[in-house]
Amino acid sequence: MAEKNREDYIIAVDGINKAFPNGVHALQDFSIRVRRREVLVIIGPSGSGKSTFLRCLNGLEEIDSGSIVVDGIPLDYKKQNRLEIRKEVGMVFQSFNLFPHLTVLDNINMAQILVRKKSKKEATETSMNLLRKVGIPEKARTFPNHLSGGQQQRVAIARALAMMPKVMLFDEATSALDPEMIGEVLEVMKTLAGEGMTMVVVTHEMGFAREVSDWMVFMENGSIVEEGTAEKLFTNPEKERTREFLSQIL
Amino acid sequence: MIDVVLFLCVLAGATWLVTDGTTKLGYNWQWYRVPRYIFTSENGRFTAGPLLEGLKVTLEITAASFFFAFTIGLITALCRLSSSVLARMVSRGYLELVRNTPLLVQLFFIYFVLSPIFDMSRFFSAVLALSLFEGAYASEIFRAGIVSIPKGQWEASYSLGLSGWDSYRWIVLPQAVRRVLPPLTSQAVSLVKDSALVSTIAVYDLTMRGQEIIAETYLAFELWFTIAAIYLTITVALSSAVAVIEKRMKVAA
Repeated sequence: MAEKNREDYIIAVDGINKAFPNGVHALQDFSIRVRRREVLVIIGPSGSGKSTFLRCLNGLEEIDSGSIVVDGIPLDYKKQNRLEIRKEVGMVFQSFNLFPHLTVLDNINMAQILVRKKSKKEATETSMNLLRKVGIPEKARTFPNHLSGGQQQRVAIARALAMMPKVMLFDEATSALDPEMIGEVLEVMKTLAGEGMTMVVVTHEMGFAREVSDWMVFMENGSIVEEGTAEKLFTNPEKERTREFLSQIL
Repeated sequence: MIDVVLFLCVLAGATWLVTDGTTKLGYNWQWYRVPRYIFTSENGRFTAGPLLEGLKVTLEITAASFFFAFTIGLITALCRLSSSVLARMVSRGYLELVRNTPLLVQLFFIYFVLSPIFDMSRFFSAVLALSLFEGAYASEIFRAGIVSIPKGQWEASYSLGLSGWDSYRWIVLPQAVRRVLPPLTSQAVSLVKDSALVSTIAVYDLTMRGQEIIAETYLAFELWFTIAAIYLTITVALSSAVAVIEKRMKVAA
């Protein structure tokens, strides 16, 4: 990455390592920086450590060594720091993970009330605005299992946004969707990127990557093979492995 | 059609068995003497008989034990799943101790050993023994329910910034309790039935009252049938009530 003012970085990851008990070394001396308002797209074959990296960023996985700093807060052994970071970092999962026992509205209200200490009225107002933004305000009183996959994922995005996060993580957000529903979710993600949300996106949607990303990283075996702008990676990759992967996937 | 024929055959067989059995037994049935032990009414004034008095005690003990057993069960389950080694050890020890000794022995131990030391009433001893016993089983049910909730629910909850406790309280437990309602009901039914054991420490519950009347009247068959029918009524009512709740919850989710 080109030299930039360090103050700009909202995420600073330095030399992190993560090995799973089964011996898989998911991340090896992995370092990366993300600037505010930047959309970072991570691509790579399955098992390359992309998802593990995202999950380390908000402390869902614990790193073995190295350091992660998000918005000036170090993600360390302190519980309080981890909670602080999770408040500022929203996450969207491949499998939606909506709360099935709560209505769509309560799904989105929950964290606002419990974590942001908002009143139910305030929370509902925010939630309804977000539901309008993702295009399904009429589903507020519905339970998640009555929604299509695309609608569920849009609710999940609204739920994460309700915390007013500074960073959004997308972990293969469209991989579990039927083809005709991928578009509606990508549309919401594009809007977010257009509004200047800082995003780290793991995806196989190369069209989206090309259109929206400010910076792209190609990962394999827990480390970065190549990084650069989408333009460079797609048209003129330096590494043979990058070329090979992209030719398989495109 | 074949089911109907089979059912009639079974019914006929059962009837024959009962009539043949009772004739051969040569027992002098005196059902007319039973009602007065359930209740009497003079000049329109209703007075509960000893059996109803006993039922009241049984229900009191069961209700109190319900509450404590499920509380103990939930706390034990949370301890067993906690990251604290001490909590896991204590809860595991309690569970194994209670599950691997007979309820009757526990009841006698609490009544004859602990109650004089701590000056506990018979009623309280009974409730304590039943709560500890059923609580151990309830804790395994709760634990199974909690671990059956997909990891993604925890992750979604954590990623929104909820604390471990809030995640339990608002996300995981509400789902877990719904899932374990059927086995929890079986446990509640067991509790009602196991409460009969408290008659051994002279708590005047339904069973104890029955024994007392039988000792006076020798109406052994009639009274045991009656007592069984009363227990059956309670447990069936309980099961149906939970079935209704379960259905409602299914609609809501």
